[in-house]
Amino acid sequence: MSSYTRALVTGASSGIGRAIALEYAKRGVDLVLVARTESRLKALADEANATYDVHAEVLVADLCTEQGRLIAEQRLAADHRPVDVLVNNAGMAVDEELADSDPDIRIQEVELNVVAVTRLATTAASTFRARGRGGILNVSSVTAFWPVPGNATYAAGKAFVLSLSESLHVELDGTGVHVSAVCPGFTRTEIFDRAGLDTSKVPGPLWLDAHDVAHAAVEGLEQNDAVVTPGSLWQAMRLASRLTPPPMARRMTSVMERLTGFGG
Amino acid sequence: MKLERAVVTGASAGIGRAIAEELARRGVALVLVARDAVRLEELAAGLTREHGVQVEVLAADLTSDEGRALVEDRVAALPTVDCLVNNAGMGTYGPMAGSSVSAEQQQVELNVVALLRLTQVAAQTFNVRRHGAILNVSSLAGFQPNPGHATYGATKAFVTSLSEALHEELRDVGVHVTALCPGYTRTEFHDRADWDATGLPDMAWASAVDVARAGVDGLLANRALVVPGGPNRVLAGLSQVLPSAVTRRMAGAVTKLGGR
Repeated sequence: MSSYTRALVTGASSGIGRAIALEYAKRGVDLVLVARTESRLKALADEANATYDVHAEVLVADLCTEQGRLIAEQRLAADHRPVDVLVNNAGMAVDEELADSDPDIRIQEVELNVVAVTRLATTAASTFRARGRGGILNVSSVTAFWPVPGNATYAAGKAFVLSLSESLHVELDGTGVHVSAVCPGFTRTEIFDRAGLDTSKVPGPLWLDAHDVAHAAVEGLEQNDAVVTPGSLWQAMRLASRLTPPPMARRMTSVMERLTGFGG
Repeated sequence: MKLERAVVTGASAGIGRAIAEELARRGVALVLVARDAVRLEELAAGLTREHGVQVEVLAADLTSDEGRALVEDRVAALPTVDCLVNNAGMGTYGPMAGSSVSAEQQQVELNVVALLRLTQVAAQTFNVRRHGAILNVSSLAGFQPNPGHATYGATKAFVTSLSEALHEELRDVGVHVTALCPGYTRTEFHDRADWDATGLPDMAWASAVDVARAGVDGLLANRALVVPGGPNRVLAGLSQVLPSAVTRRMAGAVTKLGGR
């Protein structure tokens, strides 16, 4: 079950966002589903409603744009059918070395992974703080723990989200507002195809299932865990990253990128 | 590595100004970028007089698309530019709850979006020439969470991660990339952010001159990360090895000590 009543989930049409939306629906939490593609959102809303008997709204918005962000922010702050959980999940990846890539795609990536997350988190923090309750779940990544040559802006954006989320967790401590960052490793979703990534060389044990990630994330927010790293193998790697001097960590990611076929 | 001409953003004051002076002292010609043309002209005249280097001035607001385009063009078009110092940055103080969405966004626009655009242009240009250097001014704040200035700390975590990755991407082509991560430095920064840090002990403070020298030395030696000052290096090391629950508490305590 959940202590919340209505979750606004960005990037809800697929992957981890979709899995988190369904996890909340399963717990009887109503939904506000945000993404660009209306048809996919409607199908998900129908599924959530039919399977779990929850109310699910559809909000079509492109969070790379000013207008799209405003739509989501207004819904977050609205008093009618109030939202008490924000799931900042929408994100994209660009897999290319910085010197080789189209600047505009990089900026689009940052507009979504960084600017939109900051704006929605600010709005949710203000709204939930004033009401004295709520939850903010920010979807970061294990790439927040170490720099990733070949996916430099993606990892930097996720480091941003983790840092922001941890700070906000401390700022809102004791106010009734929970803040968690979830940092999944490789999760079977569409993000790799969209970034044009071949994942065939990534070893099986490193893979996570979107449902398991969603379950861990939703539980983590209930407990107000500041950082949730799903999967014991990734937890171990996170621990190892702390004990590795930065120069070695950079080389290791570089080598791992080559082994797994990532990094351009 | 011998540098010919550096573009320095946020050059009119603080660490940016000190880095410009440090480079001029080493005979590097400059393009100084900031919003305030008057302050830049004064600085340029002084640097030319003192060090005999050629100094241009470019008045641009990097929070705007037009301002960024001006500087991007200068980095890419001038064949002698072989160094970019991404220093311009701002910080706000205060909890995120109740703060204005546009103020938070402006900070991200300057500290992240403008820095990324210029870094990308420099990476592409220098990569083709197989020569060049990029110095990104980050902060110790990038190593651990920063309650009270959450967005600022997050922007610096971005800059450090980006720079480290780029350092690795360009290491074999002769392009240097360094993230400079100073702790508390005596500049106008804290006044502008309305951030009263007078509760911090003297030992915690560095001078902008020392920070600039460490940054330029680190860039020439192609060190990925430069943390100036012994106590700061200890803090940075602790942030890495301690569990994040401990660093969050520490960061909260320091914020109370250094804040209002």
